[in-house]
Amino acid sequence: MYTIRTGMTTEEKLEILADAAKYDVACTSSGVERKGKKGMLGNCSAAGICHTFASDGRCISLLKILMTNHCIYDCRYCINRCSNDVPRAAFTPEEICDLTIEFYKRNYIEGLFLSSGIVKSPGHTMELMCQVLYKLRTEYEFNGYIHIKAIPGVPDELIAKAGYLADRVSINMEFAGEDSLKKFAPNKNFKTIMNPMEKISDTIALHRLASGKDARLERSTGNRYLENSIFNVKRLEERGVGRKELPVSLSNGNLRRSFAPAGQSTQMIIGAGNETDYELLQTTQKLYQNYDLKRVFYSAYVPLNEDALLPAIGTPVPLLREHRLYQADWLLRYYGFQADELLTEEKPDFNEQLDPKCDWALRHLNLFPIEIMTASFEMLLRVPGIGPTSAKRIVQSRRYGTLNYEQLKKMGVVLKRAHYFITSGGRMMYKVPIEEQYITKELTVVNRKESWEIVHRNQYHQMSLFDDYAIG
Amino acid sequence: MYIYTCNPDHESMLTCIYEAWASGKGHGNVKLCVEPVEQFRLFDEYIHVDAEETKAESVSRSIWHKISPQMYWEISYALLSFEEDALDTAYRVLILGFHFGARVLDMVQYREVIRFREIRKLVSREVHSFREFLRFYCVNETVYVAHFEPRSRVLMPVASYFTERMPSENWMIIDDVHREAIVHPRDEECYMRILSEEEVFALADTEQEDAYTRLWRNYFHTMGIAQRKNPACQMNHFPLWMRKHVTEFRNPDE
Repeated sequence: MYTIRTGMTTEEKLEILADAAKYDVACTSSGVERKGKKGMLGNCSAAGICHTFASDGRCISLLKILMTNHCIYDCRYCINRCSNDVPRAAFTPEEICDLTIEFYKRNYIEGLFLSSGIVKSPGHTMELMCQVLYKLRTEYEFNGYIHIKAIPGVPDELIAKAGYLADRVSINMEFAGEDSLKKFAPNKNFKTIMNPMEKISDTIALHRLASGKDARLERSTGNRYLENSIFNVKRLEERGVGRKELPVSLSNGNLRRSFAPAGQSTQMIIGAGNETDYELLQTTQKLYQNYDLKRVFYSAYVPLNEDALLPAIGTPVPLLREHRLYQADWLLRYYGFQADELLTEEKPDFNEQLDPKCDWALRHLNLFPIEIMTASFEMLLRVPGIGPTSAKRIVQSRRYGTLNYEQLKKMGVVLKRAHYFITSGGRMMYKVPIEEQYITKELTVVNRKESWEIVHRNQYHQMSLFDDYAIG
Repeated sequence: MYIYTCNPDHESMLTCIYEAWASGKGHGNVKLCVEPVEQFRLFDEYIHVDAEETKAESVSRSIWHKISPQMYWEISYALLSFEEDALDTAYRVLILGFHFGARVLDMVQYREVIRFREIRKLVSREVHSFREFLRFYCVNETVYVAHFEPRSRVLMPVASYFTERMPSENWMIIDDVHREAIVHPRDEECYMRILSEEEVFALADTEQEDAYTRLWRNYFHTMGIAQRKNPACQMNHFPLWMRKHVTEFRNPDE
């Protein structure tokens, strides 16, 4: 059994438990707008606030820690699995509260992200986590953002409690397929993940209805004008069963909070299992549509454990694949694309050399070039190099006169990609043939540098006399 | 060319707009700029304008009523900018604004409007960045003090965010470049103070290390995943010039 080392300082614990938590990707503080209150500490901003950026360029917005990294589970991909010999530690609730409050006051963080290894049983662990949150919300009067990781297989009451105390609840799916989950995480099963996810989703919807909002979470406003959007209500299929609400369980009547106002999210590991991009993207779309998830995160697998079933330690992290999936995720949420437009069963993986949007445009050259002055918002969004902001600006400003390429550039349109697909006043920017092979070649050159940098980020660097040869 | 110059505060700038407009010299023959003027030109005439409350008020009233309240906020924000041509661009946009009305900011066919939007964007980005990157240090276990060195005069909008965030704390934000400070006593309204030489000196040494600065620095370095190291991306999001007073990038031994 584990021995809990006593006499460990908070500093040592923080180092161990932050190190163990850093592979979890979600670190957003967005999705809920809450004003500050006198006597309490903190507010929330809907856009989210990143407080700093770590050496890997990822934002640090929340204090992301595990409550403990003691774990009875033996998931093959996880650094904290019980068969690994790693230093173990556990925070006391007071330590977590103090760290959160003091960091928050110094403007280091936007709130707390609490996850945990499983001690004794999932239920026991979840109860401890809820105690921490309760203490933080009541005793410490913390009004900032809290993201809690729900543990699969715990009683409904505990999930409900977590939802009332936190702003966002998430349950990690880890794998899109049941076989992979069985193979890599023998102690978990799909039912214990999907069941609470469904209940959380329904409870959020009911709470939103009760407070006079739409049952579904707010999405990017552009989606309203997109007929094809995955969030378009007309297209949504009802699940066909009655809503499954979680029990109301908060005993303290003074603590009136809505249930997980920032929605729920999940995370999938890329590169450990054998799912194709097509499966991952389809799953993502289903999660957005059926469970109304706010975000689906992807985590490129960093090999940490020696395991016959997993990539060996030292295998390059599939960063480009992760990048392509996120690009596609954005296309679903902001650009009105559907998963089956981007990938098909016959072509289940993304093109390494081209981003998904360019790839789509090249397969649909018959629709291009489009005239910037007359094209619909929906069509503008489908041009590579035009995003939601620039599309909106084009639509707003073309009422007052023609737009030329210089103005488009100033509005934020990336002409090096867009100019193959648009005309302004009937003219293209340069004289180029609308020909698949030619444009593919040109766009691959544009994309090559970016893709190369993502893949080879750590292997090469600019030589420097000072760093490499210690001169000076 | 007649060049109207004024001090870089809100009231002076609005008065300057009033004077230039009322001079009757023609919009094409006047230019506005904020003091100090970096390079005087031989054949231009420089006219200094002092702040006058009534004139400044009449300009803001006209913008508010004849164009739109939103335009007034846009102009006020843009005038915070450090860009040399901010005041002149605001003047040019106002000329268009009085002609076309509230929709002027969508009319990117005019260069002035494009430039104005750029300036406006730079200011709001700077405000947002400092909301993120401002770092408080705990002094005497009672007051939280933050220093920062912005390019534009963004102290006000930055501080107004923190009144929401920490309404029941004693805190203070000091703009070291423009020598202004906002002081927020617990549960009270905050106020602005222009700092004197002695005050600046007295407040210089507030960035002291304590247990939490060490913990945070440690945490920050732990969070980076070595296999995904990407300094260029980090630099993109967190430029070097903003890191000056930021706890995790400071060397504690200095």
